[in-house]
Parts: sequence; structure tokens; C-alpha cells
Amino acid sequence: MTGKTLLIGNGPCARRIAEDLVARNRGILVATPEQGFDISPALAAKYTAETSMEILTETKVISCRGSAGNFSVALKHNGKTRKAAVGNIVIAEEERRIPCFSLYGLTPASTIISLSDLKPLVPEPPGNHRRFAGITSMVFLSGIVEESNPVIMEEIMAACLKLQTSEKLKTYILTRNLKVAADGLENMYRKTKTAGVVYIKFTDAQPEIVQMEDGRVRFEFVDEITGDFLRLSADLTIVDEKIAPSNYATELSRIFELDGDPNGFAQRDNVHRLTVCSNRRGILVAGPARCVQSISDQYIDAGNAVLSLLEQERPASDQGVEKARIETGKCVRCLTCYRLCPYRAILVNTRVAVAPDACERCGICVAECPRGAIGMGQQESSKPLVLPAITGAKAVKDDRLPSITAYCCSRSAARAAELAARLGYSLPPGLQVVEVPCGGSVSLGHILAALNGNADGVMVLTCHEGNCHSEFGNIYARQRVDRAKALCAAIGMESGRLVHRTLASNMGIEFAQAVAEFEKQLLEMEPGRLKTGKK
Amino acid sequence: MTQKTVAVIGGGVTGLSAALELARFDISVDVFEKSDFAGGHAIQFACKAADRCVKCGACIVEEKLSQALQDPRIRILTGSRIEKISKAERFSIDLNQKAEYIDAGKCTSCGVCSAQCPQDGAVIAGVSKSHLPFYAIQEDKCRYLADKSCTRCQDACPETAITLDATATAISREADAVVLATGFSLFDPKNKPYGYGTFQNVVTNLELEGIVRREGCALKPSDGQPANSVAFIQCVGSRDAKLNHLWCSKICCGSALRMAQLIKARQPQTQISFFYIDVQTFGSDFQAFYRQVQGDVHMVRAIPGDIFQSEGGRLKITCVDNQTHDTVQEIFDLVVLSAGLQPCEQNIEVIKQLKLNVGDDGFVDPSTANGGEISGGVFAAGTVAGPMSIADSIASAGDAALQVIKYLEMGEKPI
Repeated sequence: MTGKTLLIGNGPCARRIAEDLVARNRGILVATPEQGFDISPALAAKYTAETSMEILTETKVISCRGSAGNFSVALKHNGKTRKAAVGNIVIAEEERRIPCFSLYGLTPASTIISLSDLKPLVPEPPGNHRRFAGITSMVFLSGIVEESNPVIMEEIMAACLKLQTSEKLKTYILTRNLKVAADGLENMYRKTKTAGVVYIKFTDAQPEIVQMEDGRVRFEFVDEITGDFLRLSADLTIVDEKIAPSNYATELSRIFELDGDPNGFAQRDNVHRLTVCSNRRGILVAGPARCVQSISDQYIDAGNAVLSLLEQERPASDQGVEKARIETGKCVRCLTCYRLCPYRAILVNTRVAVAPDACERCGICVAECPRGAIGMGQQESSKPLVLPAITGAKAVKDDRLPSITAYCCSRSAARAAELAARLGYSLPPGLQVVEVPCGGSVSLGHILAALNGNADGVMVLTCHEGNCHSEFGNIYARQRVDRAKALCAAIGMESGRLVHRTLASNMGIEFAQAVAEFEKQLLEMEPGRLKTGKK
Repeated sequence: MTQKTVAVIGGGVTGLSAALELARFDISVDVFEKSDFAGGHAIQFACKAADRCVKCGACIVEEKLSQALQDPRIRILTGSRIEKISKAERFSIDLNQKAEYIDAGKCTSCGVCSAQCPQDGAVIAGVSKSHLPFYAIQEDKCRYLADKSCTRCQDACPETAITLDATATAISREADAVVLATGFSLFDPKNKPYGYGTFQNVVTNLELEGIVRREGCALKPSDGQPANSVAFIQCVGSRDAKLNHLWCSKICCGSALRMAQLIKARQPQTQISFFYIDVQTFGSDFQAFYRQVQGDVHMVRAIPGDIFQSEGGRLKITCVDNQTHDTVQEIFDLVVLSAGLQPCEQNIEVIKQLKLNVGDDGFVDPSTANGGEISGGVFAAGTVAGPMSIADSIASAGDAALQVIKYLEMGEKPI
């Protein structure tokens, strides 16, 4: 997969990616809604010499079609729209800071400012005392109402250290949980304390915060260590900020049909997306567009993004493997597949087709297509994925023991089954593990075919919610089991013959327990109704 | 680029992730893992999901190990210790390869060796389905290796896979670049006043992970019965000025609170207390998680001074509650010490030979080690540079892999 890279962003992460790509003389199109793209001198030197980079400022992406290796993106600049063909896309938008004034009942004023407002006031190099004329005490508020993070705390500590040592100001930090989970931060905390920064930590109580008429703020509280009632007045109050994705990053996640997170970041915290992947091949999400990050995190993300882009120039690891395909004759363009594909691999043009480079072979479309028009590999389109394997459930010597067909997700439950065997757990003799690419590929047809093929019970074992590589495959699996249960109930069959459970790949004992429990449950019932050949 | 070889020192999640990234560029990778099983600390972690994934990352470690073992471009050598590493044109690495007592090709993981062994801890089991052979003989415990007095495992093995007379071998490897991913060691709390090593039911966080992995729930080591009350003590060996451990181990709040929630889900009657200094933020929706956990877990903002054994082998914790200023005495069945991450002393020699900078805290200098080049061709990644989560270790490995590739390309066309 080759082609130009569309890089969206203008922060440290985006700039680092641009530098690396330009250094490799790799085609790159930078698009940012901002007025300039701040390039480093090193990049600027390269930029003039190379033609492989194009920078579009005050430009927004408005739509995107196509799939990995072959995206067509519409960009808007000054009311004019232009199209660009790119091979892959990196979203590396900067963060957005939301000052927490209202959380503390404060109104912004010259004496009540946000952490970002403070930044330009902290002199560099130190010593320009006049900026803080008339100010002796400064209070920083962080994470008192809502939990904060170490990125904010590091900024506060760094500012306090400078103000306390060079400016001889008295600084106080009022917080709840001191967030020190970052490199060197505990050490910095000790330094600030030595320098005279005062920390006041709250557990359940909160200080009473009163904005006075002269602009000063009064804090009243009971000190948790001494139990004393204390009153503190601040000449300057600095409130912390929430770190959020930029509005544009959230908009981009909608434009590119990414499975973003509920806070608006363009990457959901699904562990299968680590580090910079999205649910779509060829689209990467790096830096503060995907989660709260420090500057060093952003550089690490930049490295991962460049690495992924270089990888995409190489043949895909699943090249040559047959992907889902739609039989034109059967397809009625109902777009069920388009609606459900977690990887956005369905292309809708004059006919509906699967983009092979984008398909991850989860089989959700195969299971859901109401016309049975989608097939994958050896699997015939109209037939369930593993039908040959399940036409006969495992024969059990002792025919009082139930036959169990367990459809197991290849990433989770099937691995847990292997671990259970390795750990030496005795598994039900009638257990037949049928590995499926994703729980979402188990159709109603699979479940019924297993029952029809002599199984006394059917298990559908998937990843935990929020862990599915195909985002919702496990949820579809659960819904189908529920539907099959309703069907069973309608024909007077025990719905307890069907079960959906979630497991992780390292849950060996839990797998053994789940199948043993199910076997016990089946033993309490008569043999399966659809079972043939049994007396 | 001509065929290159990279040596990855350390087969934990960082080393495996780096190896997989490099292999995608057709680089040949040797992973040297000193212990008997690849996957490092993280492969021993339990999945913390009750119904929903809580993003602990344990399953990803499992996946990385499985992928690395399947990749023909990656060779993982377990039981291999670095004796000497030096660089002339290429890196030369001399290793001591532990004797192959159990033939991986023959072993069927039947467990007869472990069942037959009369010596506690002499045959240990793996934790992952990818651990092959699934058992390993511990040289310092095995009776045959001490005085040739016992050959029960060898005699009993139905596959004749065990050779107790096997010997260690000296091997040498060459490499074009080195990724240092030797990880951390867990703080040993024996000198803390918590009775660790004396009271059976005082365990470390890592030991609890093992119990949950093996048993599926939180059982007391003393009698194998479910613990009805569990205390988590945070910051054991972290944020500790007396030890000069001036760092937060970053991962303990998340793993302890996720573990607490898992225990609550599986053993709902269990009372859980959490003794802490500050709760660190983790996960994308920490605010909601924290609110939930405050309802389920008794949060005590204090670090206990000591632990005494009380009636029936239960454990009495005494501390001063910072909020109420009262002395709190609570009795627990199981106490879990959130032992911190610290630099691994065993690796100091390798770090010296590689001429890396080490910070005052003993971790490889983070300003140069986050994938950055420290000395020509050596790249540090993961927790060797400081505490980090599974997700951060994977990210660090990816960045280091890019730096390795850049370095190897540079060698190709010298400027």
C-alpha cells in the first residue's frame, strides 16, 4: 500500500511526524484549520528543498471516500473545495483546554486565571518580577471537584517551582489526589516542597471558595492533617483545566467514520487499537487526538505513527488471504453490511463491494446479510461459516453426557480453551470447540445448525464488552443468542440450552468453569429435542 | 536494506512488541529472555474484566507472545543470560543458555513431572498457553542437580522428554543493533513492617494476580478458602523517601482498584479496603470508575504502620485515618501489598557494558531512553527506563523499533 499521507494537525506530534516523513522524502499533505503550520527550522530547510510536502493552512477535511491505500478526501479552503487522493491518513490534532472556573464557582477575572493564561506570565528566563506586581500569594486549584491528571499537575508544579524560587512568591496547591504518575513527577513534588510550595490535600470535603469584591479569592477549610480551621486568601488564583480533544478531532472522527470514544477522542480505548490504530486500516490517530498526553507521550506516538506508515508500504500480513466478497446476483443493496462493518470496508458505488485491503475477516457481514449474499474464503455465502464442522456434534461414548458445541472467538475464548487444556482441567467429553474469527460471525444459522446437528447445548463465547477487535462483534453475538433463545422458547425448547459468555484469552480456569457449569445445566434437562439417533 | 539482525534483551511485553514491529520489516530478531518463560511480568497478570473490558492490557501480552512465537523471523531464547556484550563493527553477545532439561518438542504439558516432584518449587508451571514446554526445572531447587538423589520426574515422564543430565551451553550471537527491554523488578516488601514472608496471607500484588489466574478468585494462601475481607496497601516501595524511591510506580492504583472490582464481582460478599496516599488517574473514563469504586471499596487515606496477626490467623491493620484522626483497627483475611516497580539489579552489568546512562533512581535515563538512541545502536524501551503500563510499554517499544530502523538504514548509506 503506497500513496501520499494526509497529516491533520499542527502540534508537536504532527510536526514530529512531518519531519520524519519529509526526511524520508515521503509524499505528505498537511492540512490544518489553523493559519500557519509551525515548522521547525530543520523541517523548513527540508521543505524548501523537497517537493514531497504540501501544506494547506486554514483547510478542513469535509468528507472522505474510499479505503486504505485509496482514499479520496475533500478539503475546504476559503470556501473552495478541492479533492485529494491519499493512501493513508494520520489524525494528530492538538488538544483543547477547558478551564474549570465554573467547577469552583469562580468567574474569570484579572485575579482569577486559567493555567494556560498563566503560562505566558511565568517569565523565561526568570526574574521579571514586575509581572506579578502587588501579588504575594498564589493559589492553584487542581482536581478538587473533578479528578485531574499528571499532565496538568506537572505544569502546575513547574510553574510553582519557578514562581516560588525566582519570583519569591508564596504558592499553594489545593488538590484532592495529587497526580504524580508521570516520569520524574514525584521527584519534582519533593523539590517543590523543599522550595516552600504548600500542598493542601482534600479527601471528601471541599474548601469553601468565595470570590471577593476586590478580586481576591478566599478559601476556608479544615486542614485534614491538623484538624485546624484555616482561611487562605489568594491575590491570584489559577484554576486547572480539563484536557479534551479539539472539536475538529471529534468532527474528524465522524467524517472518517471512526469509532471514537465517548469523550470525543478519535480513538476508542479498545486495547486492540494500541498504539495509534483506528478501526479503519490506513487511518491512524496519534497524540492528543486519541487520549490525554504529555509532550513526551506525543513524541512516542509520533514514532509509532511513522512506524505504522512505513509498515503500510510493505505487503499486508494478510495479503493473499481471501476476504469477504459479495455475490452481485444475490445482493439487493439493503446495505446491512455497510451499516454493520466495524472496519468500514464496504464500498457503495453502483454496486456494493468489499474493499479487500480494509476487510479484517471478522465475518459479521456474512452472519448478518439477510440474503446470504456474502461469503468468505472456503465458506459458501449462504451457509454458516463452519457448517461442515457442526453437521455432527461430537459423539460421546456415554450418551447420557451432553454434546456441547462451543463457538469460540479466535482471539479470546478459543485461546482460553487451549490454556484450560494445557492447565490440565478435565473438560466435558462432549465439548466441541469451534473456533470462529469473531463472535460476531456466529449467525442464527450457526446456532440452529449445531442444535440440528445433535448438540444438546450451544455456547457462544466471546471477548468482554469493549474488548472486541471488531468493536461490536461480541454484542451482536449476544443479541443473536438472545434471539435464538426466544425462538427456542417459542417451540417449547429450554432456552437454557443456549448461552453467551465472555472470556479473555488468559482465562483458563474460567473457561473450564463455564463449560462445566453449562454441562451440569444440560444434565438437568432431557437430551436435546432435535437430537437424532438417540433413544 | 540488507538482511539485518537485532538483539532484543528481555522477552517481556516490551521486548516482544519491539521484536514483532522489527520483524514486519523483515529484520531477523533474537529475543533473549533470562527466565524460563517469555512474557515477563505482564503475562502473569489476570484479566480484570467482570463483564466489561477494563483495559488492563493483559490479553494483549498473551497475543503478542503468541504472534512472536509464530513469526519465523523471531527466535525467542528463554533461559538465556547475557555474559558479555560488546560492539566492534557489530554487536557480539555471549550468552549462557540454560540446560534444556525438558525437550519442548516432546513435552505434552501433561504435568506428570510436576505431580511427581517431591521438592516444592523445583518444577514450576507456565501461565500461558504459549509456554512450551509448560513446565521448567528450577536448578536451585532440584534434588538431582544438588546431589543426584532424585530422578522421579525423568522416570515418570511418559514422553521421555526430561534429561536431568543436560548441561548449560555457551552460545554467541551477533547483531546490528540492540533493544534493551529488561524491564523492572518488583519491590521486595520483606523489610516493610507488614509481615510479608512471615504471615502467609500477606501477599504482593503480583502474587494475587497469580492466585486469581490459577483459582479464578481471591483465595487465602493459608487454607485455600475465599477471603471475605481484603486490604490493598498502596505505595509499598514507591513514593518512599526513606528508600530513596522518589517515583510513583504508575500502574498500582489502576491494577489494585480494577482487581478490587473483579473480586467484588466474583465474590460479592467480600469487604475490600484500600489504603492509599493519592489515587492516580488511569483509563479513559477515570471519573466514572472512581465514583463507582468509592461506593464499592472502603477508601482509607492512610498508609498503615504495621500489621499484626490476630485470632484465627487473620490480620490486624492499624493506622491513623487522616480524615477522622482516629486510630483505625481493621481485621482482614488477606492483605495485598501493592509492591512498586524498581530497577532490576540483575541487569546492571548489561547496562554498564552497553554504556548507558542511568539516572539517580537507577532507571535508564528517561530523557534519552524513550526510544532515543543512547549509545550507537542501543535503544532502551519499556520499564527499564521507569515504571509504565502495558499500553505505554507497547508504545515505547514501537517508538524504539522506529529508532532502530532509522539507525540500521543509516548504517546502510554512511553519510
